[in-house]
Amino acid sequence: MIQTGTMTKEQDSFLARWDPRCKLTGFFMLMLSFALVRNPLLLPFMAVTALLVFPLSPVPTSVLLPKLRLPGIFVLVYGVILVFGSGTTVLIQVGPLALKAEGLLNFVVIAVRLFSILTLATVLFASTPITELTSAMQSLGLPLLLADMILFTNRYIFQLAGDMQKTRYAARLRGFQGKSLASLPTFAYIVGTLLVRSHAQSERVYQAMTLRGYGQNRVPAGLKRKTTKQDLLALLAVVFLSTVFVIAQTLL
Amino acid sequence: MHLPDGIVSATVAAGGYVAAGGLTWGTLRIVRRENEDPRRLIPRASLLTAVFFVASLVHFPLPPASVHLTLSGLVGVMLGWLSFPAIVVGLFFQAAMFQHGGLTTLGVNACLMGIPALLSHGLFQLCHVFGRQKKSVNAVLGFLAGFGAVAISALFAALLLIYTIPEHLDAVSEKTAVIALSMAHLPVAVLEGVFTALLVLFLLRVKPELLETRK
Repeated sequence: MIQTGTMTKEQDSFLARWDPRCKLTGFFMLMLSFALVRNPLLLPFMAVTALLVFPLSPVPTSVLLPKLRLPGIFVLVYGVILVFGSGTTVLIQVGPLALKAEGLLNFVVIAVRLFSILTLATVLFASTPITELTSAMQSLGLPLLLADMILFTNRYIFQLAGDMQKTRYAARLRGFQGKSLASLPTFAYIVGTLLVRSHAQSERVYQAMTLRGYGQNRVPAGLKRKTTKQDLLALLAVVFLSTVFVIAQTLL
Repeated sequence: MHLPDGIVSATVAAGGYVAAGGLTWGTLRIVRRENEDPRRLIPRASLLTAVFFVASLVHFPLPPASVHLTLSGLVGVMLGWLSFPAIVVGLFFQAAMFQHGGLTTLGVNACLMGIPALLSHGLFQLCHVFGRQKKSVNAVLGFLAGFGAVAISALFAALLLIYTIPEHLDAVSEKTAVIALSMAHLPVAVLEGVFTALLVLFLLRVKPELLETRK
């Protein structure tokens, strides 16, 4: 598990410095325009765009490939259904199984879209700390309640993951194996204990925060920086690129 | 059940965002109306969101593979209307931290998992009819809430995948794929149901106020 905004190899890259509001809007528009692509002719352009953004970002190359593993498995399973069940033009026939051209094409479109969007998402999350992302989303209209939930959740995730690891380690030291379904009740009690303990702690933290004035300042924190011309120009460039993809998909 | 980026079209992704945005707005409005100070719910909601996130890291052996829990049913039982926004936040972190799901599919995934969580909440409220303190009632409703959340999510996901993407998929393959995708989730749904029931019984014994959705 990796915290957002911490995978930068050099903090002074433009993507790390880009105003989070502009970056979030631009990246999101580009990702949605990629999701729109269905024409195979546009696939190389989409993949190249993603591959060009990646070296501009402060994200090390070693970060990207492991991130493709989990969604890649899902797409592969879905791909099997597509290539054998979708279409009429048979490419290869092996016994009752027939590999079909239309299904294969659908699968390639989905796989390239996944790679391109995931590359952009990795760059976005790795170059922006969660506090900046939340502030940017809040200034773009995210409700205060939801913004606070994101910040509190960010804190609890690491605390709970650590507590869970310690509790499971302690259980293992007492002989608990946890390698069969018979261990389900023990897991339930471990999670229940963590819930009860963490809840009491979260209530105390909330009360302490309220005493220190939490909830009085309703202006998004962390947005003191001003949007520069450079930020806006970069956003315009990305919006233009997204529009090109949308128009190309519509016309082709 | 977490649809990754690129698998649904932009129309479906945008539709998912519109639906999830509307549901988030609606559920937050109800939470604000039902609670004098809704901010008081934030620590518990965030804690449950973190549990929802961390649960996906814990794998159980279910031969021939291993599976992870989602706990969306439990989130529904414990958070009520706030479960939908909580699932949106949890999915956002899952997409941001280890690409479980995706950013363009966040709205779709939120609907796939959040609506069943709301249904689980509604189902669990039946314990007020059948006996709030009865162990058997809590166990049965806890199981149904956990089981139902996963089963309905899996069914929604299978239907969405099959009916929105492949243009040339033939009817027989379509039917087989929906059945296969749904049936593959059945053991996970049973596991989730048992886990939720055990956890509900534990909380009923140790801290029953955690099962109340209003403050």
